[in-house]
Amino acid sequence: MTLLNRGRLITLLGLASLAGVYVRALAFTPTERLQGAAQKIYYLHVPAAIWTETAMILVGVAGVFYLFLHDARLDRFAAASAEVGTVFATIVLTTGPIWGKPIWGTWWTWDARLTSMLLLFFLYVGYLLLRGAVADPELRARYSAVLGICGAALVPFIHFSVYFFPTLHPQPIILKPSAPSLPWSMLVTWLYALAAFTLLYIGFVVQRYALSLARDAAGGAERAHG
Amino acid sequence: MADVPLTGGYMVAAYVVTAVILLAYTLSLYLRTRRP
Repeated sequence: MTLLNRGRLITLLGLASLAGVYVRALAFTPTERLQGAAQKIYYLHVPAAIWTETAMILVGVAGVFYLFLHDARLDRFAAASAEVGTVFATIVLTTGPIWGKPIWGTWWTWDARLTSMLLLFFLYVGYLLLRGAVADPELRARYSAVLGICGAALVPFIHFSVYFFPTLHPQPIILKPSAPSLPWSMLVTWLYALAAFTLLYIGFVVQRYALSLARDAAGGAERAHG
Repeated sequence: MADVPLTGGYMVAAYVVTAVILLAYTLSLYLRTRRP
């Protein structure tokens, strides 16, 4: 099985798992008493946010290794992870305001967590624009690696911003030093959702990596014939 | 016991938006990798 087909299969598994999460969250998970059904946005918003941040950390790690090793595979992986991270960041920045409106009474506020997540989204977009703007592959990979490392440095601030500046956005109820403050039935749904988003991240990245590989091979063949 | 707030419309909107974004990206990858 080719790399591309493997990526497609994992993506299909991820989409099927996500369909299962929808059924479980909507029909078999209790409704929270204070927020009502809007609390169920949690099962999409938080796994997407975790993978938005993880994807940028992986872009940064790949960038550090690229600067030492100059291995094109690391650059290809970073480009794939950044594109998928942008997709997940879009989910976070659309589901967040939809959740915030009924609970906070506003679509948006310049709270530290929201603002830093928006900044991360802009960094992702800047990263993709930079890659499109530099024609020389070696130079593009080096510039992208540096920007990726800067993006990864922002992630710890995003995670801890709710502790440094506790305003509207709530503090983590699962990813914290003490036990999760969530009933078991809700926690299981959330874990299913996290698994579905993990499959989607892997499937998307493998496909995107295969696409870069095919483009690089086509570019190399063109140069060889040109 | 207090009534549970009626916020189902927001939940549906978020679930639909997420599905649209993920399916659109899946389709985008499929079309880009299909191109010779």
